[in-house]
Amino acid sequence: MADLFDIQLLHMTLRTVVPVLLAALGGALCERAGLFNVALEGMMLAGAFGAVVGSFFLGGAGWGVLAAIAAATAIGLILAVLSLNLRANEIVVGISLNLLVVGLTTFLMRVVLGATGTFHHPDLQGLPQWSPEWLQAVPVLGRLLSGHTPVVWAAYLAVPILTYFLFQTTIGLRLRAVGEHARAAQTLAVNPLRMQYLAVVLAGVLTGLAGAQLSLGQVRIFQENMTAGRGFIALVAVIFGRAHPTGVLLASLLFGLIDALGIRLQGVGLPSQVTGLLPFVVTLLTLVALRGRGLNRQGTA
Amino acid sequence: MPDRLTEGLIDLLRPLLAVLLGLAVGAVAIWATGHPVGEAYAALWNGAFGNRTFLGSTLARSSTIALAGLGVAVAFRAGALNLGGEGQLALGGLAAALFTIYVPLPGPLPLVAGLLAGAAGGALWALLPAWLEVRFRVQLLISSLLLNYVAVYSASYLVSVPFRDLSGGGALAQTRLIPEAARIALLPGTRMHAGILITLALSLVLWFVMMRTVTGYEWRMTGLNPDFARYGGVDRVRALVTAMLVSGAVAGLGGAIEVMAVYHRYIDGNLTRPGFAWSGLMAALLADNHPLGVLLAAFLLGVIQVGSTGMERTTQIPLEISSVVQAVIVLFVSVRIGADLLRRFRGRRAARG
Amino acid sequence: MSRAPAIAATGLVKVYPGGVVANDGVSLRVEPGSIHAVVGENGAGKTTLMNLLYGMEQPTAGEIRIHGEPVAFRSPHDAIARGVGMVHQHFMLFPSLTVAENIVLGREPHRFGRLDRREAAARVADLAERHRLPIDPLARVGDLPVGLQQRVEILKTLYRGAEIIILDEPTAVLTPQESDELLAVMRHLADQGKTILFISHKLAEVLAVSDRITVLRGGRVVGERERAETDMDELATLMVGRLPAPPATFRREPGAPALRVERLWVRGPRGEPAVQGVTFTVRRGEIVGIAGVAGNGQSELIGALTGLVPAAEGRILLDGQDITRLSVRERRAAGMAHIPEDRYRWGSAREASVADTAAMGPHYRPPLSRRGLIDRSAWLRRAAAIVAEYRVRTPGLWARAGALSGGNLQKLVVGRELAGDAHCLIVAEPSRGVDLAAAAFIHDQLLARRERGDAILLVSADLGELMALSDRILVMYEGRIVGEVARDQADERQIGLWMAGADLPAGDPPGDPASAQQGGDAGA
Repeated sequence: MADLFDIQLLHMTLRTVVPVLLAALGGALCERAGLFNVALEGMMLAGAFGAVVGSFFLGGAGWGVLAAIAAATAIGLILAVLSLNLRANEIVVGISLNLLVVGLTTFLMRVVLGATGTFHHPDLQGLPQWSPEWLQAVPVLGRLLSGHTPVVWAAYLAVPILTYFLFQTTIGLRLRAVGEHARAAQTLAVNPLRMQYLAVVLAGVLTGLAGAQLSLGQVRIFQENMTAGRGFIALVAVIFGRAHPTGVLLASLLFGLIDALGIRLQGVGLPSQVTGLLPFVVTLLTLVALRGRGLNRQGTA
Repeated sequence: MPDRLTEGLIDLLRPLLAVLLGLAVGAVAIWATGHPVGEAYAALWNGAFGNRTFLGSTLARSSTIALAGLGVAVAFRAGALNLGGEGQLALGGLAAALFTIYVPLPGPLPLVAGLLAGAAGGALWALLPAWLEVRFRVQLLISSLLLNYVAVYSASYLVSVPFRDLSGGGALAQTRLIPEAARIALLPGTRMHAGILITLALSLVLWFVMMRTVTGYEWRMTGLNPDFARYGGVDRVRALVTAMLVSGAVAGLGGAIEVMAVYHRYIDGNLTRPGFAWSGLMAALLADNHPLGVLLAAFLLGVIQVGSTGMERTTQIPLEISSVVQAVIVLFVSVRIGADLLRRFRGRRAARG
Repeated sequence: MSRAPAIAATGLVKVYPGGVVANDGVSLRVEPGSIHAVVGENGAGKTTLMNLLYGMEQPTAGEIRIHGEPVAFRSPHDAIARGVGMVHQHFMLFPSLTVAENIVLGREPHRFGRLDRREAAARVADLAERHRLPIDPLARVGDLPVGLQQRVEILKTLYRGAEIIILDEPTAVLTPQESDELLAVMRHLADQGKTILFISHKLAEVLAVSDRITVLRGGRVVGERERAETDMDELATLMVGRLPAPPATFRREPGAPALRVERLWVRGPRGEPAVQGVTFTVRRGEIVGIAGVAGNGQSELIGALTGLVPAAEGRILLDGQDITRLSVRERRAAGMAHIPEDRYRWGSAREASVADTAAMGPHYRPPLSRRGLIDRSAWLRRAAAIVAEYRVRTPGLWARAGALSGGNLQKLVVGRELAGDAHCLIVAEPSRGVDLAAAAFIHDQLLARRERGDAILLVSADLGELMALSDRILVMYEGRIVGEVARDQADERQIGLWMAGADLPAGDPPGDPASAQQGGDAGA
């Protein structure tokens, strides 16, 4: 049991949690602005695909990251236009977008990349892993913190930055006000739509990074439906973390630890299906423990 | 009286317009791949209807989509956002397979028992999110969604380890074949099976239940305005639980029929990979949760899906284009383009009069 | 005085879609630096008038001048720009934000985008001190009592430079102590040169603080008085108008007790005791009216009687049977019907058909259904009968309930509830928002049920309606029954005073409100 929890496991947790964390931060921003974003899964998947296409065709992981952000933001903007401007049900739109992205990325993978199921290519540039010597020299922490991609660093830096943004800036204040009581905000000449669009675009950036980390960070492949429910776990992390960046970080770390532990246990002989369902069971149990005390939103079909 | 006609036309117009727009987006995608659009859509039509075999496949797939969609429609009508169709379908299929394999019954009983086991499996799994909502106030939308993964992984484990068929070397994660007596007959030379009759009958039954029974009335009113239902003496918990039970049972039946008619065993991934549950959800959204409309919508989606397989064979356009077209259709339906604006305008005029 | 009036409205008319005339030629002149009250019953047009002055709605006809200049506000932003601020009855606050954040939102002091909390707090503290509205700028608004939340709303208008402040029913949600403080604040603001326009039902506070008083009734100005030249009697009479003569058929001895309520306590949505130990009896063949300004516990009382809200304490008896713990369906089966105060929230579903709307309640039992199966023809027959008898104008039985006009939907709901053989009717605001013909029709139906020997509890904020229908009237104020009067001894002045929460004058009022307040039986 002792060798289950070691630096290696924590290192893996820090890394594997990043897509969920980034997506959940994006979801938290939307939630704060009053938009229940079920499309996180699709935005992240679009990001993962965009990253591979950008990196492959433009010849650099940096381009990949930009393309990932563009793709995820595009999906987010569709969500915003349909549910905010055209008043479609945000849950229906979110679900449909998730399905759209699964189909579209698979379709495009075949048309653009000429691959079925999984795309990998020796020329596909992944995100660099950052291991400066000075960092490696630090005991324990050095091993924990080196070998991560810049996106991993960005994800953890995003937590304090977003906390500052939400709670210390005027824009953050207005964004929260809109999410809490849009009509009251409107009476104070704060435009709710503008704040909600801002949240969606920021969520696009964050989920785009999440997708890039997924397809260019952990591995260097694109796989059909490779987000595999991470967007939904992120959604629960938003609820569990009460849409506060720190809370979201803690919730994501919990789920990430379970995930990493699962992968580790697989090595000990636990079937992959059991480790696969573990994060979902833990997620459900946290919801039960919350007993509706998290964010309480009701949608209708 | 002309108003009633207009209302009906508006109800039909909306999905129709959405389908046209969806096909238009598909045409753009086809054009982008460099294929002539007309030829591609002709290939799609041919792939869905070209011969007995194709038509059989189309109907078979539509049937399972319809069952998944009927399950969604029942739940949505009652205001329960059941997104757990995937798990309910998979566990229904697994329950049918295991029950017929391991509980030997005489005569035609295995057939009935298999279907019942499938319905029960789906219903019990659907009960879980309902219970979580009533007892722990966990949003049904999210719990049912997450439970899909739990169900699919669990089913995968069960057929990979304890119930794996080891007879042929055990290369595949699948159960043994179900007994002959439990198999649903196929139309020779096609994949069209007698289960389609069950689907047709069930959609009529569900239409009847929704529109002509007290339970259905209470579901609909709870879905439309829970306060109104409560005011009229409707028990909300009862309405939620019964709707989820029926919803899950119908989806489970879909899985059972797929297993008992097409594969004759539960094969890991065969009920989830084709996306029956999500297609069913789309069919329900498209048909505005009307049981007979779900049939039509499911048929449309079946045509697009099976047809695009044929299109891929003849034109090399990836069949995934069908997912794109379907999702676009649902998106357009969700914004209630045009038609709804018209209705709202008419409603406002009526309110003024 | 040569100064232009702060507000000068001339001939304001507001006609809503559907033809309801909410303001019918209202003229109003408010002097700068004064406190001007607008009083009137529910539906008199006060809120519409305020919405016109604040730019939330636009007048159909008429002119508004602010400080002498004609204005045409398209939105509250325009009003704010001209120095008009409004404190709504339902606060527009962000509970999770601090007092300072709530006040400065939209016009935040900042340094390079960073919210300058210290500066915000300082400005709010300064503003609060100048206007003698002490408050902790760093407190979370959600944690504050209602009185202080209202103070935040007032500070919001002042922060935006309001010279004219409109207060809509500002004391409706306050405790007596908070109300007193508010009145002092208003006086102080006026002394500093601000102009206060204030809507209220409560005549005592109006007389205590206002310089001038305008009385609205039925969308028109029926009186305008200097405070010094009027008194509570006169205002109450103006507000209520002349009482209608009792209908000719109005003589019948009530029968046996049907509905009995004993020391009933009910909690409101925020857990506060909304109904506090109410006791009364409704007999067969009797209409008992409950008068009171909206929000004095009537909704919670109805909820508890019909089973939609649990009773915290006390008993409800129907024909001697304890129904306190029965479900809605069981109560309906025992002979109760309920005409809800909000036909849209409780009485119908917009997307449901007229036929389905008409079936709710007895839908599960014969003749509407048998063994769980709906009898379609009985279902339609019932709806058709209601539509015919109550003259519901609808395109058909399959039309969406939401497509009906307010009055027709109300007739449908009333018809549904009166269609069965219920003998105990809980009726709330039966004619709210419906035209006069529909209201008269509904009233006739209720009187007919009374003649038939049904027990009817009628809750209404419209005193005229109560006077026209009730055998006895109980007055509810802050969750208690503070007065009771028989129909033939009804005295609009006395009822107006009770409703306004005025201290009861010496002498012997009809009934015995003193014992009612102590939880005694007001219906014996």
